[in-house]
Amino acid sequence: MSPDNDVRPSALFLRLFRWFCDPDIVEGLEGDLLERFEIRLHKKGQRKAKWLFIKDVAQLFRPGLIRFFKESQKRNSLGMYKNYFKTARRNLLKQKMYSSVKIGGFALGIAACLLIALYIKDELSYDQHYENNDRFYRIAQTVYYGNEFKMAWMPAPTAQALLADYPEVEMVGRITPTVIGGGNNQLRKAESPQNSNEDNFIYADPTILELFETPMLMGDHSALQEANTIVLSKSKADKFFPGENPIGQLMILNENASNPLKVTGVMDQPIHRSHFQYDFLVSLTAVEFYNGEQGNWGANNYPTYIRLSEKASPEALEAKLHEMATKYVLPLQQARGNVNAQEFVDKMKYELQPVADIHLYPEGISDPFEHGNIKFVWLFGAIAGLILLIAVVNFINLSTAKSTNRAMEVGLRKAIGSQKHDLIIQFLIESVMFSILSFVLGVLLTSLLLPYFNIMADKTLVLPLSEWWFVPGLALASLLIGTMAGIYPAFYLSSFKPIQVLKGSVSLGAKKSGLRGVLVVFQFTTSVALIIATLVVSRQMNYIMNTEIGFDKEQVVTLSGTNTLGDRVPALKNALLQLPGVENVTVSSYLPVAGTYRNGNLFWKDGRTQMDQGLGAEIWRVDYDYVSTLGIKLLEGRDFSTEMATDSSAIVVNQQMIKELGITDPIGKKITNSSDNSQVWTIVGVIENFHYESLKGEIEGLGIVLGNSNRTMSVKVNTDEIATVMASINDTWDKVAPEQPIAYDFLDERFARMYDDVSRTGNIFTSFAIFAVFVACLGLFALSVFMVEQRNKEISIRLVLGASMNHVLRSLGFNFLKPVLIALFIAMPIAWYVMRDWLNEFQYKTTLSWDIFAIAAITAIGIAVLTVSYQSLKAAVMKPVNGLRNE
Amino acid sequence: MQLFNLEAVSIITTFKVNIKIMGKHHLGEFEEIVMLTVAILHGEAYGVAIIEEMETRLNRSVSIGSLQTVLKRLETKGYLESEMGEATKMRGGKRKRYFKVTNLGKEVLRQSKDQRLGLWDAIPDLA
Repeated sequence: MSPDNDVRPSALFLRLFRWFCDPDIVEGLEGDLLERFEIRLHKKGQRKAKWLFIKDVAQLFRPGLIRFFKESQKRNSLGMYKNYFKTARRNLLKQKMYSSVKIGGFALGIAACLLIALYIKDELSYDQHYENNDRFYRIAQTVYYGNEFKMAWMPAPTAQALLADYPEVEMVGRITPTVIGGGNNQLRKAESPQNSNEDNFIYADPTILELFETPMLMGDHSALQEANTIVLSKSKADKFFPGENPIGQLMILNENASNPLKVTGVMDQPIHRSHFQYDFLVSLTAVEFYNGEQGNWGANNYPTYIRLSEKASPEALEAKLHEMATKYVLPLQQARGNVNAQEFVDKMKYELQPVADIHLYPEGISDPFEHGNIKFVWLFGAIAGLILLIAVVNFINLSTAKSTNRAMEVGLRKAIGSQKHDLIIQFLIESVMFSILSFVLGVLLTSLLLPYFNIMADKTLVLPLSEWWFVPGLALASLLIGTMAGIYPAFYLSSFKPIQVLKGSVSLGAKKSGLRGVLVVFQFTTSVALIIATLVVSRQMNYIMNTEIGFDKEQVVTLSGTNTLGDRVPALKNALLQLPGVENVTVSSYLPVAGTYRNGNLFWKDGRTQMDQGLGAEIWRVDYDYVSTLGIKLLEGRDFSTEMATDSSAIVVNQQMIKELGITDPIGKKITNSSDNSQVWTIVGVIENFHYESLKGEIEGLGIVLGNSNRTMSVKVNTDEIATVMASINDTWDKVAPEQPIAYDFLDERFARMYDDVSRTGNIFTSFAIFAVFVACLGLFALSVFMVEQRNKEISIRLVLGASMNHVLRSLGFNFLKPVLIALFIAMPIAWYVMRDWLNEFQYKTTLSWDIFAIAAITAIGIAVLTVSYQSLKAAVMKPVNGLRNE
Repeated sequence: MQLFNLEAVSIITTFKVNIKIMGKHHLGEFEEIVMLTVAILHGEAYGVAIIEEMETRLNRSVSIGSLQTVLKRLETKGYLESEMGEATKMRGGKRKRYFKVTNLGKEVLRQSKDQRLGLWDAIPDLA
């Protein structure tokens, strides 16, 4: 009838219709649909007919005609659901070992995952809470002093210039450490002579409180407006003024009694994480550290924060910032007689960094803050995902492995009328039930482990139980993962053919062990990779701790805060030198560990300041005993000597300085660190390069000169009885400076603290590796139980036919080892690649030697053998009759 | 080996029996029209034919979906019965489902008509 047989209605919708339509009526309806289509084709044309066909199908999608509705409407399934729960509970209790492995392993995975998720959330939460976050920036500059220096440290007048020259800058605020380069401070109440040793000080502009939206307990954001004011954190206010009102009280900083500081505010405990955490904010109003300091464009000491006006574009502002260099820095450089002034200024760069990025994206900008590492956030996230994946895989593995026991049940249920999808629902319910149980256990476990994790990762994480999203989020996750984990076993188990199963002729699982093998490979790959990572990090830590760093950090006690002793410093030094067990004492604020004084300068060969670009290098002020106390090796020339009157203009330099300045035969050569040649130094000695900064960076040029810098006294001890020496040092201090408590530390510990992040990384890797290995072992263990059960008859027959125990063990053992061996081959290259990348962060690093991989391999194999041997042995010594009695 | 006892099976099958308790015989307007159309077509009543008949006689367009729902409902109530016809080349080779009014259905239609007529008769003469 149709004139045009080629035109057909939409095949997709036809198929859709066949799928959803009640099978009892589908045939007649389909015919009707097609007939109508043909009629319309005739009357109304192709396009219209096709469109109306789709409309017809859509209109057929209604409750009375859909097959799914039909069944569920007819049946009362409540009883069955009750039965599902009952069966699940019985199964759980019947196989205690299996169930505990399954649920326990999953709970462990969840706990690990939760811990890491909390860690990541914390890392990501830094500086995200400011109301004006989208227009809150800090400024950073790049300057070339021989090398490129990128830093958040800005000249003092930058803030004023920004505010005056750029209308899009709404507010600026600067901070600067009270002691540039770090160190402790002595603080006391004005009426009490007793000093307290405090750190976490910062000088801050009055605007800083508003910029950082600091929550104030007392006082307000204008607290730092007046000169000589100080704002305290709550804990410090409680410490200094217990039970008193701190507002209006006077405090003395570093014995500077002529300028007492008035307390004008107390900061509340911060709720949100910020890179900016200080206990003491001292007002920068009317402060000038030396004459002309506040107008000096040549010294970079102030991290500077900017709030842009609402409509300003940071990119546009950034593009205009270089004018600042031309306007202010160029005249200064020219005035100093730098012939390369123009080039110097041309090379300068300014950029704006969102404050929200400071914590995780340091981008090589040098600043006084601790940073996180976005790479680690990613890495830990990946590890959390992997551990969870392993746990889910285990869960799936165990559920399918158990299928032998469930096969009969499936057959029976099918024989009495269960549909496939009923069984799928049954197994999904079971899986979700176990998943919820695991989540509850996992959260409990997390709350148990959290205190230890906090110590390890140096965090203060808490389970956010009171947050509205936490419990529903977990519930949702448990449902989701339960379903995900249950899907494969559900479909697998529900597809058994009832007749075969009931006849007992299905050999379950054996054929499917290929897939299970793949899952085990996957688990062991993760575990081996983590073991290797752990080993590499601990090797690197070891390397750092034991490498030749060029000075002797052992048995050196550092006493801080000696600057407030003033004239009594030499007396203390002499008194200490009298003590038995004290070998040497030196006074210098500059030490080769982080958190002590630094002093970056430009160096030239004498007479070449006008011709050469200056070399950025450190100049440290020390006393006569510095080199000997710290055990620094002298390569050429001599140390400072009290007998040489000319030594006030003598300098001892490290090898790097000579190399970079291009000096041959250095002794007696002259160098300078002042562009007007006002200070010329004569090289009297060359010392070996020693690591005075983290091993992550190169050793840079350094010169030491005689000078007075008395913040720290370092005492070299030469006895094993540290306690005795410490007691006598303590006594001596108390005699010389009774009003000030002693604050001591050990150089090697301060050195180790520089690498806290490395050892933290190591610890975190170690614990995650343990997690992963443990979870993987649970998986392998359960698998071995399953395999032995599967091959029960085979082993029995072998034993009957005279196979020895050895033989059985070997045949079982190799089966388990194969996936582990494959995992080794996959994991090693991956781990090698990732860890090489990690090590590249360090200028000085250990090598990725073959024995790391060998140890990891042996560990993995050993663990695998131990895990499966129990079951294998059990199988090998069993009575064959037990395995065959049913035949 | 005893696999299952019969008692259990019979319990489960009772769930599947679908007992409909007949309410008062009442026809909706659309139901009535559909039944009348089926009766008119007398043995030739299948989906498309019913729709076409309603379209020509009543100028009322009906979708397959709504018609099908009503046909199914009427069949469950016992007013209609259906059987499959022979397969033809047309309609993609699918058989037609022919509907017929049952005796119960005829009775209900008649009742409905009588009720209407009774109502009409009760109207006082409109001048």
